[in-house]
Amino acid sequence: MRTSSKLLHIAVVLAAVPALLAQDLHLIKTLTVPPEAAVRSVAITQKGDFVAAGCQDGQIRLWAFPSGELRQSFTLQDQKISGVWFSPDGTLLAVGGNRGTVRIWTVSSGKVKAELKAGADVKALAFSPDRTLVAVAPAEIPAQLWDLDIGRITADLTPKFAGSSDVAFSPDGQWLASADEDTVIRLYDGHTGAPRATTQDILLESFAIAFSADSKSLYAGGADQTISVIDAASGKISRTFPKQQFVVGGMEISRDGKSLAGAYFDANGFSNPAPVLLWDTASGSIRKTIQQSGFRPIGGGFLPDGRLLLASTAEGKLQIWQVR
Amino acid sequence: MRPITLTRREILENCVALGSLAVVASSPARAMLAAFQDHETQHKRPTPPNEIGPFYKKRAPDAAMLRAPNDPGMPLVVSGQIFSTRAEALTNATLEVWQTDHLGHYDLDGYRYRASLKPDQSGGYKFESVMPGHYPDRVCQHIHYLVTAPGYKPLITQLYFATDPVFEGDPDRNFSRDPLIHSRELVRPVMLTGDPKTIQAAVRFELVLELM
Repeated sequence: MRTSSKLLHIAVVLAAVPALLAQDLHLIKTLTVPPEAAVRSVAITQKGDFVAAGCQDGQIRLWAFPSGELRQSFTLQDQKISGVWFSPDGTLLAVGGNRGTVRIWTVSSGKVKAELKAGADVKALAFSPDRTLVAVAPAEIPAQLWDLDIGRITADLTPKFAGSSDVAFSPDGQWLASADEDTVIRLYDGHTGAPRATTQDILLESFAIAFSADSKSLYAGGADQTISVIDAASGKISRTFPKQQFVVGGMEISRDGKSLAGAYFDANGFSNPAPVLLWDTASGSIRKTIQQSGFRPIGGGFLPDGRLLLASTAEGKLQIWQVR
Repeated sequence: MRPITLTRREILENCVALGSLAVVASSPARAMLAAFQDHETQHKRPTPPNEIGPFYKKRAPDAAMLRAPNDPGMPLVVSGQIFSTRAEALTNATLEVWQTDHLGHYDLDGYRYRASLKPDQSGGYKFESVMPGHYPDRVCQHIHYLVTAPGYKPLITQLYFATDPVFEGDPDRNFSRDPLIHSRELVRPVMLTGDPKTIQAAVRFELVLELM
């Protein structure tokens, strides 16, 4: 789960709040970082074999998981790290910087595979399932579809104004979607970036999007405090999950498609307590509410066996929790 | 060493003196300069952009009165004109504004303190609201703007208030206390008007759009 970087720059204020053990949370790993390193963004591979963290000291740290062995430290030279993202198969790690550089490393070798210039602070990024394409959302300008083999932009994903908060490929690679700051969800051909459909009826910005396991639907959540289920082919909203008092800031779908984890924020203060909700996607009902004073995940994801991991930070450490 | 800075007029005068500006014989240098500067004043610098923030809501109602009769907070009138960089009034622009209430809360469920406006025949706009509160996750009071006009780049910006307590009376020095304020120009003077029992704040904010 990537909590929207748009909200995250505010949420990281919470990094200093010690995480309290919630009933539903089991601490499975504590990864240490220097106290001044403060973890700002986290990614976990879908297999659960690596964890990457973008840190305030300018280092990207890569650990094997669950052993916790530190495998690599990278930097983006003179740029602050805005986010870290793995390819779906976990073989590539992309790091975005605050001045628009995206550098992509091969996880196994630690070698740089590609470097892209996205033009502005990188807010969101997604790899196509075959790792040949990368969608990048730079701040306040149109998102871009990059072909990694030729190292060039092959399509601009152009909203009416401003930029995009999130981008996502469908698991089958057929679709690419963007959640745009003009509040429109746009669906594109996942190979060419050609426009296919739009969702106009979400009135506030969506901060997180994720495709269903069968690639037929897109879930979108954001400032309207609901999660909308969108038919990928038509862009029409087929249903919405019950509205909450909180804004959706991040989302993740389990491999079998049956569960959706949503990280929520309080619009009246991003440091106020807010839950992670585990939704049953078929019924649109809440299966579990994870809320504990001081606990604020900054990332997470489902493992192949369906377990949900959440990552939180405290001074000098990155903690990985398993949701019971 | 103090850097030598010349005003635009000085540069033009020097150019004329040095013959690097062609001066038609029948046209005295001074008249030529005046014409040059007239032309120059008709060009306006585009309004600095500022990020859209997370809570834009589309389809806001057409309304110039954003506050309800008994709303708490200091009444606020914001007015200005919408221009192109060539100083043409953009009468066909659409202006959308959104802000918090006086306590710093955005309305996500409805359209309180959100409006869409059309300028008048001179490109003028005006709306009445209350002074926004301090949103908990921002430093300064602000009003969001989205201005669109056919053929022009959409302008997304924010209006700030010179009276904001954060500036401690010195916005020139302290405007960057809000890390999102990149331009002093977006911090506007606030004039208090009305009789002492019903003081309201008035702010002017000119908007200049660039051609697409």
